[in-house]
Amino acid sequence: MDDIIQVSSRFLHGLQEMASMEEEQAHLIGNLFLEFQEEFERVYKVYCANYDQALLLVKAYRKEPELQQEIQGIIEAAVPQAGPSGLSFLLVIPLQRITKYPLLLQKILENTLPNASAYPILQRAMSALQGVNSNINEYKMRKEVASKYTKVEQLSLRERLARINTHTLSKKTTRLSQLLKQEAGLVPRTEDKDFNDLEEKFQWVSLCVTELKSNVAAYLDNLEVFLQFRPHECSLDISGGPAEQYRSLARDLQLEVFLEFKQRLEGLVWKPLCSLTRALVGPQNLIKKRLDKLLDFERVEEKLLDVGSVTYEEEEARHTYQALNSLLVAELPKFNQLVMQWLTQILHSFVALQRDLADQVLRRAESSMVQLPHHRAPEPDFRKLLEDTLGQTCSQLHSFQENFEKVLPHPSTQPLLPGSEYQMQALLTKYGPGKLYQVMSNISGTGTLDLTLPRGQIVALLQNKDTKGNSSRWLVDTGGHRGYVSARKLQLYHMAPSEKALRGLVAPHENFQLLTPEPTPAPSPTVQAMTQVVAAYPFVARSSHEVSLQAGQPVTILEAQDKKGNPEWSLVEVNGQRGYVPSSFLVSSPSPASWGWTLPS
Amino acid sequence: PSWIPFKIGQPKKQIVPKTVERDFEREYGKLQQLEEQTRRLQKDMKKSTDADLAMSKSAVKISLDLLSNPLCEQDQDFLNMVTALDTAMKRMDAFNQEKVNQIQKTVIEPLKKFGSVFPSLNMAVKRREQALQDYRRLQAKVEKYEEKEKTGPVLAKLHQAREELRPVREDFEAKNKQLLDEMPRFYGSRLDYFQPSFESLIRAQVVYYSEMHKIFGDLTQQLDQPGHSDEQRERENETKLSELRALSIVADD
Repeated sequence: MDDIIQVSSRFLHGLQEMASMEEEQAHLIGNLFLEFQEEFERVYKVYCANYDQALLLVKAYRKEPELQQEIQGIIEAAVPQAGPSGLSFLLVIPLQRITKYPLLLQKILENTLPNASAYPILQRAMSALQGVNSNINEYKMRKEVASKYTKVEQLSLRERLARINTHTLSKKTTRLSQLLKQEAGLVPRTEDKDFNDLEEKFQWVSLCVTELKSNVAAYLDNLEVFLQFRPHECSLDISGGPAEQYRSLARDLQLEVFLEFKQRLEGLVWKPLCSLTRALVGPQNLIKKRLDKLLDFERVEEKLLDVGSVTYEEEEARHTYQALNSLLVAELPKFNQLVMQWLTQILHSFVALQRDLADQVLRRAESSMVQLPHHRAPEPDFRKLLEDTLGQTCSQLHSFQENFEKVLPHPSTQPLLPGSEYQMQALLTKYGPGKLYQVMSNISGTGTLDLTLPRGQIVALLQNKDTKGNSSRWLVDTGGHRGYVSARKLQLYHMAPSEKALRGLVAPHENFQLLTPEPTPAPSPTVQAMTQVVAAYPFVARSSHEVSLQAGQPVTILEAQDKKGNPEWSLVEVNGQRGYVPSSFLVSSPSPASWGWTLPS
Repeated sequence: PSWIPFKIGQPKKQIVPKTVERDFEREYGKLQQLEEQTRRLQKDMKKSTDADLAMSKSAVKISLDLLSNPLCEQDQDFLNMVTALDTAMKRMDAFNQEKVNQIQKTVIEPLKKFGSVFPSLNMAVKRREQALQDYRRLQAKVEKYEEKEKTGPVLAKLHQAREELRPVREDFEAKNKQLLDEMPRFYGSRLDYFQPSFESLIRAQVVYYSEMHKIFGDLTQQLDQPGHSDEQRERENETKLSELRALSIVADD
């Protein structure tokens, strides 16, 4: 409305200026109209298109007495000649004016001599204003058609069913048959290449939007899942050092950085995509409706050829099709262009968000990294160092595991198998009590050199590893056969001292075996040149050959076997004294400090 | 758990001093908790890296689908932008895979290995428990004979029982000691064992996000974007929306 006032007052101004110039008036009037034609069209078309809606509003206002009174009051004060119909009277005035202009011009033309210089100009002005009016009409019709068909109606099934009547059914079947006839080539299809190209581009643009939206949705879903897991909340009871650094970094990232990223993503990428998707609906419906109406239109054309006339309804169909077509042709290009521009904007935002995310994370991660012990080391060096260290600590874990496995099941003596007394005695005499083992559970051998032994059987140990160095597979002598058995199923065979005395044996170093029910050496962790060997357990020397140990005491190994070559005993030096100690009492302890991982305390 | 309902065969004497038992419980308790935490951390790390990979894959799909749209054939500018985006996404995906591999090797694997020691520990603790029970049983037996009238046969049986008891007691004490020594050492080893992993985790983030920063920084420059603020971008979005809505063919919602 304001626009109309503005334009009109400028027009009036122009006219007023002319009032003085007598002769050239007609000329000038013509020119003025020509000048203003575009502006008139622009402002009046909007007004006219919305006129109907304005009238509806006035009707609604009439129903509210208070409001109506207010409005009447104002109108009576300002424009007394409006009368009781007030608002609607005022509203129609601009409508009347714009349609009057061509008529006024025509009047002037009639009163002008055909050979006057102003004549052609006035002619042009009149046809221009006529054009303005018809454009306004078309615009209005398009708007009506658009608002009729763009919306997707949310109908329930019942409502949809209620809509079906003979009329709609016949319409739809007619369209379908027309389509089929076209497909079969029986009837020529109205080809409109330009429109088809336009529609094709629209379809691609639609596809772009819907695909991007669903892909972004998937991305956001995955981001949510990622944010679900909080490994940094598990502390392993380690405080300080890299573990602490990691914990606080991860917390920052999850609670601040990634959260902000997600929010920005939702606002600047997801939300616009949703708006775009909704905007696609209108054109899609119109395109569909156009096709329907086109099929109707083609039928009508056919009928026209056959019969020579068409009903009013059929004319309507033709007009609607033409309106839809011209509307789409006019506006789809702009639509496509706008969507593409917006998509590009959105993608730019997406990229910027990723860069910002990287920036934020990097800043925090780098400040964490500076506090790490090896932060100066370049990445390849660090990785090599890490690999080596992990190898080290892995073997340390192995030794822990083995140590735990050395805690063996209870050495309850199984009863001897009947008739095996003699065999046991033979083994005892041949090998000595320290070498006797009892089978704890049935062994079934699989390989050619493996033995199958029942539970309770006594065997003597020949070798505590096989030819490949596998220390869980031992070579034993049953008194009758030799072969390999799984070491885990053997238990050192204890005999009560009285029993031993009976058998006339008191071998040296006997007591050691009672103290520690360990099978003789599971390999001690690899002794490295620079690592310490310490005593794992205390040992009390029982003779002058032996030397006492305290747990944790560092010792130096002089010989890893005794005078008979028995590796169960090692000759060591400790505290300036020399003597034999059980080899399995010794462990090497890799010193962690040399790898630089220990924390500053 | 070393509570046993009172039954015949329980020794009168407290064979394991309360302090020792308490120490044992405490050390073992710490290790049980550590076992649980190790397992949980391993699981969470795995799930987190899986989600990370999924995210990267869906980012790649964004640019892939854009690239396959026929619009690219018509619009050169669009094609250029989408191609640059696609290249960036694919490179980031490759770096992401590398990052995850590194985490797998230096964090998840070590966690698994550490966890694999616990079954042996738990078995050892069970065996100590069994030894304790046998010890108690035989101790009770000895006490039973000690209380009887000292006749010849009784003395012989008593001697026998004592002889049976001795190796069992020594066995238990050895196991107990061994575990009391090893458990704190094992618990303490977690410090040196895991710190490298955490260091590796942080470094892996730095490596990955450095690349990401460079790649997307270059991309924003290439696409010739001014550095807009979020408000500016939102306003641009609003403008576009109202331009679209101004068209008659667009429905009002």
